[in-house]
Amino acid sequence: MKEEILTDAVLREFLLGNVNDEEQAQIEGLFLTDSEARERVLVIEQELMEDYLEDSLTAEDRERFLSRYGQTDAQLQQLRITKAIKDWALRENASQTTPASPSLWRRLRASLLLKPAFFAPIAAAAIIAVVVGGIWFNGRMKRAALLRELAQLNSSASLRDVPAQMALLELRPITVRSLEQATEFKKSADVHIVELRLPWIQKESYPSYQAEVRPLSGGDSLIVPNLQAENDGLLIIRMRLFTNELNRGQYQIRLSGIDSGGVVGTTEEYAFIVES
Amino acid sequence: MARDSAIPPESFEEILAWLNPDRNVAATMYVQLRHDLAKMFLWGRCADPEGMTDEAFDRVAKKVHDVRPTYEGDPRLYFRAVANNLIKENHKKIKNQLPLEGIDLSGPAISETEDNIAEDIEECLQLCLQKLSIDRRELILAYYVKDKQAKIDHRNDLAQKYGITVETLRVRVFRIRESLANCIRRCLKRKRK
Repeated sequence: MKEEILTDAVLREFLLGNVNDEEQAQIEGLFLTDSEARERVLVIEQELMEDYLEDSLTAEDRERFLSRYGQTDAQLQQLRITKAIKDWALRENASQTTPASPSLWRRLRASLLLKPAFFAPIAAAAIIAVVVGGIWFNGRMKRAALLRELAQLNSSASLRDVPAQMALLELRPITVRSLEQATEFKKSADVHIVELRLPWIQKESYPSYQAEVRPLSGGDSLIVPNLQAENDGLLIIRMRLFTNELNRGQYQIRLSGIDSGGVVGTTEEYAFIVES
Repeated sequence: MARDSAIPPESFEEILAWLNPDRNVAATMYVQLRHDLAKMFLWGRCADPEGMTDEAFDRVAKKVHDVRPTYEGDPRLYFRAVANNLIKENHKKIKNQLPLEGIDLSGPAISETEDNIAEDIEECLQLCLQKLSIDRRELILAYYVKDKQAKIDHRNDLAQKYGITVETLRVRVFRIRESLANCIRRCLKRKRK
Protein backbone atom coordinates (compact mmCIF):
# COMPACT_ATOMS: atom_id res chain seq x y z
CA MET A 1 0.00 0.00 0.00
CA LYS A 2 2.72 2.42 1.06
CA GLU A 3 4.85 1.44 -1.95
CA GLU A 4 1.90 1.89 -4.31
CA ILE A 5 1.21 5.43 -3.27
CA LEU A 6 4.82 6.51 -2.92
CA THR A 7 5.77 6.19 -6.57
CA ASP A 8 7.53 9.07 -8.32
CA ALA A 9 4.51 9.67 -10.52
CA VAL A 10 1.93 9.80 -7.69
CA LEU A 11 4.15 11.97 -5.53
CA ARG A 12 4.70 14.43 -8.36
CA GLU A 13 0.94 14.68 -8.84
CA PHE A 14 0.49 15.14 -5.09
CA LEU A 15 3.04 17.95 -5.02
CA LEU A 16 1.36 19.58 -8.01
CA GLY A 17 -1.97 19.43 -6.16
CA ASN A 18 -3.45 16.90 -8.54
CA VAL A 19 -4.57 14.01 -6.31
CA ASN A 20 -7.91 13.29 -4.70
CA ASP A 21 -8.63 13.95 -1.02
CA GLU A 22 -8.09 10.32 -0.04
CA GLU A 23 -4.65 10.13 -1.68
CA GLN A 24 -3.72 13.50 -0.23
CA ALA A 25 -4.66 12.33 3.28
CA GLN A 26 -2.65 9.11 2.84
CA ILE A 27 0.45 10.86 1.57
CA GLU A 28 0.33 13.64 4.17
CA GLY A 29 -0.23 11.02 6.88
CA LEU A 30 2.81 9.06 5.74
CA PHE A 31 4.80 12.28 5.40
CA LEU A 32 4.16 13.09 9.06
CA THR A 33 4.56 9.63 10.54
CA ASP A 34 7.08 7.74 8.40
CA SER A 35 10.59 9.17 8.06
CA GLU A 36 11.35 7.15 4.93
CA ALA A 37 8.18 8.40 3.24
CA ARG A 38 8.97 11.96 4.33
CA GLU A 39 12.38 11.82 2.71
CA ARG A 40 10.93 10.32 -0.45
CA VAL A 41 8.40 13.14 -0.81
CA LEU A 42 11.13 15.72 -0.28
CA VAL A 43 13.41 14.08 -2.87
CA ILE A 44 10.63 14.28 -5.46
CA GLU A 45 9.89 17.87 -4.47
CA GLN A 46 13.54 18.83 -5.04
CA GLU A 47 13.52 17.13 -8.43
CA LEU A 48 10.28 18.84 -9.39
CA MET A 49 11.84 22.20 -8.59
CA GLU A 50 14.87 21.35 -10.68
CA ASP A 51 12.64 20.35 -13.58
CA TYR A 52 10.88 23.69 -13.28
CA LEU A 53 14.19 25.57 -13.23
CA GLU A 54 15.40 23.57 -16.25
CA ASP A 55 12.15 24.39 -18.01
CA SER A 56 11.46 20.65 -18.39
CA LEU A 57 7.84 20.71 -17.19
CA THR A 58 4.90 20.63 -19.56
CA ALA A 59 3.02 23.92 -19.86
CA GLU A 60 0.21 22.50 -17.74
CA ASP A 61 2.54 21.24 -15.00
CA ARG A 62 4.49 24.49 -15.05
CA GLU A 63 1.28 26.39 -14.41
CA ARG A 64 0.33 24.02 -11.60
CA PHE A 65 3.82 24.24 -10.18
CA LEU A 66 3.72 28.04 -10.07
CA SER A 67 0.31 28.01 -8.44
CA ARG A 68 1.74 25.74 -5.71
CA TYR A 69 5.32 26.97 -5.36
CA GLY A 70 5.39 30.54 -6.68
CA GLN A 71 2.90 32.19 -4.36
CA THR A 72 4.51 33.12 -1.09
CA ASP A 73 7.84 34.58 0.02
CA ALA A 74 8.74 31.32 1.75
CA GLN A 75 8.13 29.33 -1.44
CA LEU A 76 10.07 31.80 -3.56
CA GLN A 77 12.97 31.62 -1.13
CA GLN A 78 12.95 27.83 -1.41
CA LEU A 79 13.05 28.11 -5.21
CA ARG A 80 15.81 30.72 -5.17
CA ILE A 81 17.95 28.57 -2.90
CA THR A 82 17.45 25.51 -5.12
CA LYS A 83 18.37 27.60 -8.15
CA ALA A 84 21.49 29.00 -6.44
CA ILE A 85 22.77 25.51 -5.53
CA LYS A 86 22.09 24.12 -8.98
CA ASP A 87 23.64 27.13 -10.75
CA TRP A 88 26.75 26.85 -8.57
CA ALA A 89 27.15 23.15 -9.42
CA LEU A 90 26.70 23.74 -13.15
CA ARG A 91 29.11 26.70 -13.03
CA GLU A 92 31.76 24.69 -11.16
CA ASN A 93 31.41 21.79 -13.57
CA ALA A 94 31.68 24.08 -16.57
CA SER A 95 34.86 25.69 -15.22
CA GLN A 96 36.43 22.29 -14.48
CA THR A 97 35.69 20.69 -17.82
CA THR A 98 36.43 23.41 -20.36
CA PRO A 99 38.71 21.51 -22.77
CA ALA A 100 41.50 22.96 -24.87
CA SER A 101 40.53 22.88 -28.51
CA PRO A 102 42.13 19.77 -30.11
CA SER A 103 42.37 21.43 -33.46
CA LEU A 104 44.30 24.35 -32.00
CA TRP A 105 46.66 21.93 -30.22
CA ARG A 106 47.23 19.97 -33.42
CA ARG A 107 47.95 23.18 -35.33
CA LEU A 108 50.41 24.35 -32.66
CA ARG A 109 52.20 20.99 -32.52
CA ALA A 110 52.50 20.84 -36.31
CA SER A 111 53.93 24.34 -36.57
CA LEU A 112 56.41 23.83 -33.70
CA LEU A 113 57.71 20.57 -35.11
CA LEU A 114 58.61 22.36 -38.28
CA LYS A 115 60.83 24.86 -36.42
CA PRO A 116 64.02 23.42 -34.80
CA ALA A 117 64.55 26.68 -32.86
CA PHE A 118 61.68 25.63 -30.61
CA PHE A 119 63.21 22.26 -29.68
CA ALA A 120 65.36 23.63 -26.81
CA PRO A 121 62.57 25.57 -25.04
CA ILE A 122 60.26 22.58 -25.49
CA ALA A 123 62.87 20.25 -23.99
CA ALA A 124 63.42 22.69 -21.08
CA ALA A 125 59.69 22.93 -20.51
CA ALA A 126 59.42 19.15 -20.59
CA ILE A 127 62.19 18.81 -17.97
CA ILE A 128 60.50 21.42 -15.73
CA ALA A 129 57.20 19.56 -16.16
CA VAL A 130 58.86 16.27 -15.15
CA VAL A 131 60.51 17.88 -12.08
CA VAL A 132 57.29 19.67 -11.02
CA GLY A 133 55.34 16.49 -11.70
CA GLY A 134 57.84 14.53 -9.61
CA ILE A 135 57.53 16.97 -6.70
CA TRP A 136 53.74 16.85 -6.99
CA PHE A 137 53.75 13.06 -7.15
CA ASN A 138 56.11 12.88 -4.18
CA GLY A 139 53.79 15.24 -2.26
CA ARG A 140 50.81 13.06 -3.12
CA MET A 141 52.66 9.92 -2.00
CA LYS A 142 53.63 11.57 1.31
CA ARG A 143 50.06 12.66 1.86
CA ALA A 144 48.73 9.17 1.07
CA ALA A 145 51.26 7.73 3.55
CA LEU A 146 50.19 10.25 6.21
CA LEU A 147 46.51 9.38 5.74
CA ARG A 148 47.37 5.67 6.03
CA GLU A 149 49.34 6.32 9.24
CA LEU A 150 46.44 8.35 10.63
CA ALA A 151 44.01 5.54 9.86
CA GLN A 152 46.36 3.11 11.60
CA LEU A 153 46.75 5.47 14.60
CA ASN A 154 42.96 5.51 14.93
CA SER A 155 42.30 1.81 14.48
CA SER A 156 40.48 0.11 17.37
CA ALA A 157 43.65 -1.79 18.33
CA SER A 158 45.81 1.35 18.45
CA LEU A 159 43.20 3.30 20.41
CA ARG A 160 43.41 0.69 23.19
CA ASP A 161 47.04 1.68 23.80
CA VAL A 162 47.81 4.83 25.73
CA PRO A 163 51.19 6.17 24.55
CA ALA A 164 53.23 8.13 27.07
CA GLN A 165 53.78 11.08 24.77
CA MET A 166 50.10 11.81 24.23
CA ALA A 167 47.91 14.74 25.31
CA LEU A 168 44.13 14.75 25.68
CA LEU A 169 41.83 17.47 24.43
CA GLU A 170 38.12 17.49 25.19
CA LEU A 171 36.15 19.43 22.59
CA ARG A 172 32.53 20.47 22.54
CA PRO A 173 30.31 20.78 19.46
CA ILE A 174 30.21 24.30 18.07
CA THR A 175 26.43 24.47 18.53
CA VAL A 176 26.86 23.86 22.24
CA ARG A 177 29.94 26.01 22.68
CA SER A 178 28.12 28.95 21.11
CA LEU A 179 30.20 32.06 21.76
CA GLU A 180 32.87 30.48 23.92
CA GLN A 181 36.47 30.61 22.76
CA ALA A 182 37.64 27.47 20.93
CA THR A 183 39.64 25.04 23.08
CA GLU A 184 43.39 25.58 22.87
CA PHE A 185 46.08 22.98 22.44
CA LYS A 186 49.65 24.02 23.23
CA LYS A 187 52.26 22.09 21.27
CA SER A 188 55.33 20.89 23.11
CA ALA A 189 58.39 18.88 22.14
CA ASP A 190 57.51 15.91 24.35
CA VAL A 191 53.97 15.45 23.06
CA HIS A 192 53.77 13.62 19.74
CA ILE A 193 50.12 12.64 19.64
CA VAL A 194 46.98 14.48 20.69
CA GLU A 195 43.76 12.58 21.36
CA LEU A 196 40.64 14.62 20.67
CA ARG A 197 37.47 13.57 22.44
CA LEU A 198 34.43 14.53 20.45
CA PRO A 199 31.02 14.11 22.10
CA TRP A 200 28.27 13.12 19.67
CA ILE A 201 25.06 14.87 20.71
CA GLN A 202 22.98 14.09 17.64
CA LYS A 203 19.91 11.90 18.00
CA GLU A 204 21.10 9.30 15.47
CA SER A 205 24.09 7.13 16.16
CA TYR A 206 26.05 5.38 13.41
CA PRO A 207 28.20 2.26 13.00
CA SER A 208 31.14 4.49 12.05
CA TYR A 209 32.14 8.14 11.73
CA GLN A 210 34.46 10.12 9.49
CA ALA A 211 36.29 13.25 10.52
CA GLU A 212 37.63 16.00 8.31
CA VAL A 213 40.22 18.17 10.07
CA ARG A 214 40.60 21.46 8.25
CA PRO A 215 43.07 24.26 9.03
CA LEU A 216 41.16 27.54 8.74
CA SER A 217 44.30 29.27 7.49
CA GLY A 218 44.12 27.12 4.34
CA GLY A 219 45.97 23.99 3.30
CA ASP A 220 44.92 20.39 2.92
CA SER A 221 42.33 18.78 5.14
CA LEU A 222 43.06 15.52 6.90
CA ILE A 223 40.43 12.83 6.53
CA VAL A 224 40.18 10.20 9.24
CA PRO A 225 37.70 7.43 8.36
CA ASN A 226 36.26 4.48 10.31
CA LEU A 227 36.11 6.12 13.73
CA GLN A 228 33.94 4.37 16.29
CA ALA A 229 31.80 5.91 19.03
CA GLU A 230 32.23 4.74 22.61
CA ASN A 231 29.31 4.87 24.99
CA ASP A 232 30.34 6.49 28.21
CA GLY A 233 26.87 7.66 29.21
CA LEU A 234 27.28 9.99 26.27
CA LEU A 235 28.60 8.89 22.88
CA ILE A 236 32.23 9.95 22.49
CA ILE A 237 34.36 9.61 19.39
CA ARG A 238 38.09 9.50 20.06
CA MET A 239 40.42 10.65 17.30
CA ARG A 240 44.20 10.89 17.48
CA LEU A 241 46.38 13.22 15.43
CA PHE A 242 50.14 13.58 15.06
CA THR A 243 51.12 16.90 16.61
CA ASN A 244 53.87 17.49 14.04
CA GLU A 245 51.12 17.72 11.39
CA LEU A 246 49.40 20.52 13.28
CA ASN A 247 50.50 24.10 12.69
CA ARG A 248 49.74 27.16 14.75
CA GLY A 249 46.20 28.41 14.11
CA GLN A 250 42.60 27.39 14.27
CA TYR A 251 41.27 24.05 13.04
CA GLN A 252 37.75 22.97 12.30
CA ILE A 253 36.56 19.38 12.54
CA ARG A 254 33.52 18.10 10.69
CA LEU A 255 32.49 14.77 12.14
CA SER A 256 29.95 12.87 10.03
CA GLY A 257 28.06 9.70 10.84
CA ILE A 258 28.33 6.97 8.18
CA ASP A 259 25.51 4.45 8.05
CA SER A 260 25.87 0.76 7.20
CA GLY A 261 25.32 1.50 3.50
CA GLY A 262 28.19 4.00 3.48
CA VAL A 263 25.77 6.92 3.30
CA VAL A 264 26.89 10.10 5.05
CA GLY A 265 24.40 11.10 7.74
CA THR A 266 24.32 13.96 10.19
CA THR A 267 27.36 16.08 10.92
CA GLU A 268 28.68 17.79 14.01
CA GLU A 269 31.34 20.51 14.03
CA TYR A 270 34.09 21.26 16.51
CA ALA A 271 36.99 23.70 16.59
CA PHE A 272 40.29 23.99 18.38
CA ILE A 273 43.29 26.31 18.32
CA VAL A 274 46.90 25.15 18.15
CA GLU A 275 49.45 27.31 19.97
CA SER A 276 53.14 26.63 19.69
CA MET B 1 13.62 22.85 25.45
CA ALA B 2 12.20 26.27 24.54
CA ARG B 3 8.64 26.54 23.33
CA ASP B 4 8.00 28.36 20.07
CA SER B 5 4.56 29.73 20.81
CA ALA B 6 2.51 30.82 23.75
CA ILE B 7 1.45 27.33 24.84
CA PRO B 8 0.85 27.00 28.59
CA PRO B 9 3.57 24.80 30.13
CA GLU B 10 1.13 22.10 31.27
CA SER B 11 -0.35 21.79 27.76
CA PHE B 12 3.10 21.71 26.25
CA GLU B 13 4.06 18.86 28.59
CA GLU B 14 0.85 17.05 27.72
CA ILE B 15 1.57 17.38 24.00
CA LEU B 16 5.03 15.94 24.55
CA ALA B 17 3.62 13.05 26.62
CA TRP B 18 1.04 12.39 23.91
CA LEU B 19 3.72 12.24 21.21
CA ASN B 20 5.86 9.77 23.15
CA PRO B 21 6.19 8.64 26.78
CA ASP B 22 9.97 9.15 26.59
CA ARG B 23 10.45 12.92 26.90
CA ASN B 24 13.66 12.95 24.85
CA VAL B 25 12.05 11.05 21.99
CA ALA B 26 8.98 13.27 22.27
CA ALA B 27 11.11 16.42 22.09
CA THR B 28 12.73 15.18 18.88
CA MET B 29 9.32 14.28 17.45
CA TYR B 30 8.00 17.71 18.42
CA VAL B 31 10.78 19.49 16.53
CA GLN B 32 10.31 17.26 13.47
CA LEU B 33 6.54 17.74 13.58
CA ARG B 34 6.93 21.53 13.63
CA HIS B 35 9.19 21.27 10.61
CA ASP B 36 6.79 18.95 8.75
CA LEU B 37 3.71 21.05 9.51
CA ALA B 38 5.53 24.14 8.25
CA LYS B 39 6.17 22.22 5.03
CA MET B 40 2.47 21.32 4.79
CA PHE B 41 1.57 24.99 5.20
CA LEU B 42 4.06 25.83 2.49
CA TRP B 43 2.35 23.32 0.19
CA GLY B 44 -0.94 24.86 1.26
CA ARG B 45 0.27 28.24 -0.03
CA CYS B 46 0.20 29.90 3.38
CA ALA B 47 2.24 33.09 3.49
CA ASP B 48 3.58 32.48 7.00
CA PRO B 49 4.22 28.74 7.47
CA GLU B 50 6.02 29.25 10.79
CA GLY B 51 3.24 31.41 12.19
CA MET B 52 0.63 28.89 11.02
CA THR B 53 2.59 26.11 12.69
CA ASP B 54 2.50 28.06 15.96
CA GLU B 55 -1.23 28.49 15.50
CA ALA B 56 -1.69 24.74 14.90
CA PHE B 57 0.18 23.93 18.11
CA ASP B 58 -1.78 26.57 20.02
CA ARG B 59 -5.04 24.99 18.86
CA VAL B 60 -3.93 21.50 19.77
CA ALA B 61 -2.73 22.79 23.15
CA LYS B 62 -6.22 24.08 23.93
CA LYS B 63 -7.77 20.69 23.22
CA VAL B 64 -5.09 18.19 24.09
CA HIS B 65 -6.39 17.56 27.59
CA ASP B 66 -9.82 16.54 26.28
CA VAL B 67 -8.77 14.82 23.06
CA ARG B 68 -5.83 12.76 24.25
CA PRO B 69 -7.70 10.22 26.45
CA THR B 70 -10.04 9.11 23.67
CA TYR B 71 -7.98 9.68 20.53
CA GLU B 72 -6.88 6.51 18.79
CA GLY B 73 -3.95 6.37 16.40
CA ASP B 74 -0.84 8.43 15.82
CA PRO B 75 -1.29 11.88 17.42
CA ARG B 76 0.58 13.45 14.52
CA LEU B 77 -2.45 12.69 12.36
CA TYR B 78 -4.54 14.83 14.69
CA PHE B 79 -2.10 17.69 14.08
CA ARG B 80 -2.52 17.08 10.36
CA ALA B 81 -6.29 17.49 10.65
CA VAL B 82 -5.85 20.73 12.59
CA ALA B 83 -3.34 21.98 10.01
CA ASN B 84 -5.72 21.18 7.16
CA ASN B 85 -8.49 23.15 8.83
CA LEU B 86 -6.14 26.09 9.19
CA ILE B 87 -5.16 25.88 5.51
CA LYS B 88 -8.82 25.93 4.50
CA GLU B 89 -9.49 28.92 6.74
CA ASN B 90 -6.49 30.68 5.28
CA HIS B 91 -7.73 30.05 1.73
CA LYS B 92 -11.09 31.55 2.60
CA LYS B 93 -9.36 34.66 3.95
CA ILE B 94 -7.25 35.25 0.86
CA LYS B 95 -9.91 34.22 -1.65
CA ASN B 96 -10.43 37.77 -2.82
CA GLN B 97 -6.76 38.62 -3.11
CA LEU B 98 -5.03 38.56 -6.50
CA PRO B 99 -2.36 35.84 -6.95
CA LEU B 100 1.19 36.75 -7.84
CA GLU B 101 1.80 36.33 -11.51
CA GLY B 102 4.62 36.44 -14.02
CA ILE B 103 7.28 34.94 -11.77
CA ASP B 104 10.23 33.89 -13.89
CA LEU B 105 13.22 32.83 -11.84
CA SER B 106 15.21 31.81 -14.87
CA GLY B 107 15.09 35.35 -16.28
CA PRO B 108 17.20 38.37 -15.27
CA ALA B 109 16.57 40.02 -11.92
CA ILE B 110 14.08 42.82 -12.37
CA SER B 111 14.45 44.87 -9.24
CA GLU B 112 17.00 46.08 -6.77
CA THR B 113 15.41 43.92 -4.07
CA GLU B 114 15.60 40.83 -6.25
CA ASP B 115 19.27 41.58 -6.91
CA ASN B 116 19.93 41.96 -3.20
CA ILE B 117 18.19 38.70 -2.35
CA ALA B 118 20.19 36.85 -5.00
CA GLU B 119 23.43 38.39 -3.68
CA ASP B 120 22.60 37.41 -0.10
CA ILE B 121 21.82 33.84 -1.14
CA GLU B 122 25.03 33.63 -3.15
CA GLU B 123 27.08 34.92 -0.21
CA CYS B 124 25.44 32.46 2.15
CA LEU B 125 25.90 29.63 -0.36
CA GLN B 126 29.63 30.34 -0.54
CA LEU B 127 29.89 30.34 3.27
CA CYS B 128 27.94 27.09 3.52
CA LEU B 129 30.01 25.43 0.80
CA GLN B 130 33.10 25.96 2.95
CA LYS B 131 31.52 23.72 5.55
CA LEU B 132 30.81 20.95 3.04
CA SER B 133 33.19 17.99 3.15
CA ILE B 134 35.22 17.21 0.06
CA ASP B 135 33.35 13.93 -0.53
CA ARG B 136 29.99 15.62 -0.37
CA ARG B 137 31.10 18.47 -2.60
CA GLU B 138 32.44 16.04 -5.19
CA LEU B 139 29.25 13.98 -5.15
CA ILE B 140 26.96 16.93 -5.66
CA LEU B 141 29.14 18.27 -8.46
CA ALA B 142 29.22 14.87 -10.15
CA TYR B 143 25.45 14.62 -9.82
CA TYR B 144 24.95 17.90 -11.67
CA VAL B 145 27.41 17.37 -14.51
CA LYS B 146 24.47 16.97 -16.88
CA ASP B 147 21.02 18.42 -16.79
CA LYS B 148 17.74 17.98 -18.66
CA GLN B 149 17.45 14.66 -20.53
CA ALA B 150 21.14 13.74 -20.38
CA LYS B 151 21.06 13.61 -16.60
CA ILE B 152 19.10 10.35 -16.42
CA ASP B 153 21.76 8.22 -18.12
CA HIS B 154 24.50 10.10 -16.33
CA ARG B 155 22.97 9.46 -12.90
CA ASN B 156 22.56 5.76 -13.70
CA ASP B 157 26.28 5.64 -14.54
CA LEU B 158 27.16 7.60 -11.42
CA ALA B 159 25.17 5.24 -9.18
CA GLN B 160 26.99 2.28 -10.76
CA LYS B 161 30.32 3.99 -10.15
CA TYR B 162 29.49 4.41 -6.46
CA GLY B 163 28.10 0.87 -6.29
CA ILE B 164 24.67 2.02 -5.12
CA THR B 165 21.19 2.17 -6.60
CA VAL B 166 19.94 5.31 -8.30
CA GLU B 167 17.38 5.59 -5.46
CA THR B 168 20.15 5.68 -2.86
CA LEU B 169 22.06 8.19 -4.94
CA ARG B 170 19.01 10.46 -5.17
CA VAL B 171 18.53 10.32 -1.40
CA ARG B 172 22.22 10.91 -0.74
CA VAL B 173 22.29 13.98 -2.98
CA PHE B 174 19.00 15.20 -1.51
CA ARG B 175 20.50 15.11 1.99
CA ILE B 176 23.49 17.13 0.88
CA ARG B 177 21.32 19.70 -0.87
CA GLU B 178 18.98 19.83 2.12
CA SER B 179 21.83 20.45 4.56
CA LEU B 180 23.16 23.17 2.25
CA ALA B 181 19.69 24.73 1.92
CA ASN B 182 19.18 24.69 5.71
CA CYS B 183 22.58 26.27 6.20
CA ILE B 184 21.66 29.00 3.67
CA ARG B 185 18.32 29.62 5.41
CA ARG B 186 20.03 30.00 8.77
CA CYS B 187 22.61 32.35 7.23
CA LEU B 188 19.87 34.48 5.61
CA LYS B 189 18.05 34.71 8.95
CA ARG B 190 21.24 35.91 10.61
CA LYS B 191 21.76 38.50 7.88
CA ARG B 192 18.25 39.90 8.38
CA LYS B 193 18.78 40.29 12.13
